[in-house]
Amino acid sequence: MRRVEQVMGLPVSVDLRGGDADGVRSVAVDRAFAWLREVDARFSPFRPDSEVCRLDRGELDPADVSADLAHVLDLCAHYERATGGAFSARVPGRPLDPCAVVKGWAVQRAADLLAGAGATSFAVNAGGDVATAGGPWRVGLRHPLDPTAFSAVLTVTDRAVATSARYERGDHILDARTGRPVTDLLSLTVVAPDLTTADATATAAFAMGAAGVEWAAARPGCEVHAVDAAHRVHRTPGLPIAA
Amino acid sequence: MKRAVPILLLTVAGLVPLWRFEPQPETASAPGATAGAPAPTTTGQVGAGGVATQSVDGALVRTRHGDVRVEVVFEGDRIASVTMLEQPDSAPTRKAVPLLVRETLTAQSADVDTVSGATTTSEAYVESLQAAIDAKG
Repeated sequence: MRRVEQVMGLPVSVDLRGGDADGVRSVAVDRAFAWLREVDARFSPFRPDSEVCRLDRGELDPADVSADLAHVLDLCAHYERATGGAFSARVPGRPLDPCAVVKGWAVQRAADLLAGAGATSFAVNAGGDVATAGGPWRVGLRHPLDPTAFSAVLTVTDRAVATSARYERGDHILDARTGRPVTDLLSLTVVAPDLTTADATATAAFAMGAAGVEWAAARPGCEVHAVDAAHRVHRTPGLPIAA
Repeated sequence: MKRAVPILLLTVAGLVPLWRFEPQPETASAPGATAGAPAPTTTGQVGAGGVATQSVDGALVRTRHGDVRVEVVFEGDRIASVTMLEQPDSAPTRKAVPLLVRETLTAQSADVDTVSGATTTSEAYVESLQAAIDAKG
């Protein structure tokens, strides 16, 4: 069973294998999408009435933010420290933007909802960031120069895969230390035990530029595949390349 | 724990045959460019997964534009990666290398369940491999 919906500004697809009756699974998938729509309403920096925007405008006391937003902001602060400031949800001169952390965290929570409903084998793909349960799942890494090709194929079980890249939205990832776009990498993929970690690590590492490759490789549980601006591929030895 | 990233590569796995056997005007290949190649040198090791990896230094290829030498890393029988050890600093090479990389970064199998890689607009999604997978259901 597979379903695709546009939510959080992204195409999100859920692929469930085997197991329960379609009716039961359909309810679980409904719940997962409802959660993602709720996240969009609460945390989108593009919705003026979201909690994030109200906090940014000073209409919401930082002491009164929801537990979920507090958790997200803690994660942002964690990765800001870990990257020496290259990654930040608060780039000077720009509105508060915790998207890089929110997406992975929210999609992992959606995956947890599916697992909580009894699903044991599924993949959730939110705009190219993938959370899996069970498996093995064959995950193609989009080629940074050609949307119709792969640069690698991975085999993952109960792990998440996230890619940060320049090819889709152009130079949209900023090094918060300089405020300038990062241009020394084309794409950087992180495999981690969960999508919260994979997505935040991939984005934070990308913001660090070339140095981010080794930084991400040193993070606990993380494997890395990166293509730099000179078209060199960097990867960790534990990367689960498909046979 | 600090892990090194031991494989730093220009992935031009297809570069070796292309460069050596298929001279094309837009690449740095030059007719008769493969003369005088010394025997390849190899070093082997066993990777973490138990699969034997072997690093082979390709022959030095002299082209009209300069010398080319690659290092190919095999995992078992499979080419895992290719590194440029030497390459000419010329306009044709700068033009050719991305084309070659485009060919050779392509994975050896396209049979996948899902695709990782930023698809952040619906237009991009429609054109993506993920859309094809989802449409297939």
